[in-house]
Amino acid sequence: MIKLHKVSKTYRTDKVETLALKDIDLHVREGEFVAMMGPSGCGKSTLLNIIGLLDRPGQGSIEIGGASMKGYGDRQLAALRNRTFGFIFQSFHLIPDLRVIDNVELPLLYRSGSGAERRRLAREALEKVGLGARMDHYPNQLSGGQQQRVAIARAIVGQPKILLADEPTGNLDSKMGEEVMDILLKLNAEGATVVMVTHDEQEARRTNRIVRVFDGQLVTPEHLHAA
Amino acid sequence: MLRNYLLTAYKVFMRRKLFTAINLACIVLTLVVLMVITALLETTFWPTGVEGRSNRFLQIYTIRSVSADRSTSSSGPLGYKTIDKYLKPMPGVERVSAFTTPDTVSIYQGDRVSELQMRRVDADYWKILDFKVLAGRLPSEDDETAGRLVAVVNATTARKLFGGAPAAAIGQAVSAGGQLFHVIGVVEDVIHINAFADMWAPLSTFPSSDYQNQLRGSFAAMLLAKSPADLPRIQQEVARIAKTFVAEDPKIYATTTFWADSKLDLVARNLLGGEINGDAGLDSGARRLLTMIGGGMLMFMLLPALNLVNLNMGRILERSAEIGVRKAFGATSMHLAAQLVIENILLCLAGGLLGLAATQGVLWWLEQSQLIPYLKVGVNLPVFGYGMVFAFVFGLLSGLIPAWKMSRLDPVHALKGAA
Repeated sequence: MIKLHKVSKTYRTDKVETLALKDIDLHVREGEFVAMMGPSGCGKSTLLNIIGLLDRPGQGSIEIGGASMKGYGDRQLAALRNRTFGFIFQSFHLIPDLRVIDNVELPLLYRSGSGAERRRLAREALEKVGLGARMDHYPNQLSGGQQQRVAIARAIVGQPKILLADEPTGNLDSKMGEEVMDILLKLNAEGATVVMVTHDEQEARRTNRIVRVFDGQLVTPEHLHAA
Repeated sequence: MLRNYLLTAYKVFMRRKLFTAINLACIVLTLVVLMVITALLETTFWPTGVEGRSNRFLQIYTIRSVSADRSTSSSGPLGYKTIDKYLKPMPGVERVSAFTTPDTVSIYQGDRVSELQMRRVDADYWKILDFKVLAGRLPSEDDETAGRLVAVVNATTARKLFGGAPAAAIGQAVSAGGQLFHVIGVVEDVIHINAFADMWAPLSTFPSSDYQNQLRGSFAAMLLAKSPADLPRIQQEVARIAKTFVAEDPKIYATTTFWADSKLDLVARNLLGGEINGDAGLDSGARRLLTMIGGGMLMFMLLPALNLVNLNMGRILERSAEIGVRKAFGATSMHLAAQLVIENILLCLAGGLLGLAATQGVLWWLEQSQLIPYLKVGVNLPVFGYGMVFAFVFGLLSGLIPAWKMSRLDPVHALKGAA
């Protein structure tokens, strides 16, 4: 599903050059739930962003669903992000000016389809994460856990094949974190490929595989459960 | 999608009320100035009101003579003889009117002295211009031929001199320049180039007939064509006739020119001097004047637009996380640029509506204050249309650059809130 070959990324400023990733080879199979772990600043999020086509690698190649991303322009990348990926961020990144249902509809705005259809899909996604009754609320009227569930609903509303979660429980207490983790596991069980960055060893151990990143490089993968 | 854009735009504007207010004030101020200028220009140049036939007539206000070595020149209004001898016999012209430029006269009523602007006009003058008669009648050819001392006054003058309704002025006597006129008609106040005056009397009321023998004097002429398509031909014909003009002192002045101008040409020639050396000075400089007005208006819009670009940049910077999220979920740079430009255009259109209301207020004040005498101007449909076009262009100008710049943001950096 996701193949990274010799991916490197360097950040440059006027004076400093920082190697964020170096020669990353990674293969995530369809239906797999992969946890990425490592100390802060090791390059996990950079790796996740490159997988999600939010950032471009300096060197190396990426294949998504068997297609190379080489030469993809703004439109093609946007279309792929829209159809293939669902993003869940640590700080939720909900748009505060929009109601919950409008936030969830967001990915569908960039596809064809009627407003009624968008509304129906958004409602279904919210019901799936247990927030069917909060559709008309604004993000600041919800708890952190509820906001993250809205973010998950937004990530799954377009039925993407891959969910990318960057420390989805990082801003939540353990109970809420567990609820979010349960939802992700359920989505994975329904067929979604999930790649999650986490600092929580316990959460990571509930996935199929842990990928450890250290100083921008992968260390030996650890297989936990069959996908 | 549009609903989402509108909703976001509304929320963003309401979240930053002060910013929105500054933005709107900037737009409203610019639009008010532009729209007031447009309304005034329209009143001046567009065929409306008393000069509703101005798309069918030309006017000649100036005669210019130059010596052979170009060291001496003389320019001023026409004399009646020039109009009578050279212009009235012109073929293919429906009417030619001779009328004086406004002259200040003192009106004595007992102890009271009022100063009025008076024109003496021929009978064709009333047939070319569409005065709205409020009471009485306009002078006839009979009045002209008989040299009757009759006068027409405008509504303000009638009220000022005689009080009450316009009809109260009819039959009243007015002493002007030592002559006693009887008011036979009251017309609506007008400000237009050829029509403006407080009082009108027939040409034949001149105390002396000397004016009939003068090539230069205090006259202007209006030439009414049968159709607007005839105007260029008439202009050429007038230019040709001017070449046959024999000055009173041909030894001094070798060349004499006069031009049949549209109202725009007339103003341009007065402001810019026109071309006097070319083909009989047919180029009035109107194109240059329009370019200058257009350029000036564009500059006037450009400066606040640049200011808005800066303000917008700040507003959009605050929303970089939103831009990042939208990009992550499939928005292209084009989608985002369109969204941000639409938001800006909406703001400018809202400013446009407010600006229209404010313009109406300013025009009303201009009319009431009599800063420009007899001005009658309002926000009509064309001006409303210009206003909306201004607002749209303004929104586009001030939104496009920041929108495009922000839409190009890398999603990762946008999500981090960096721009």
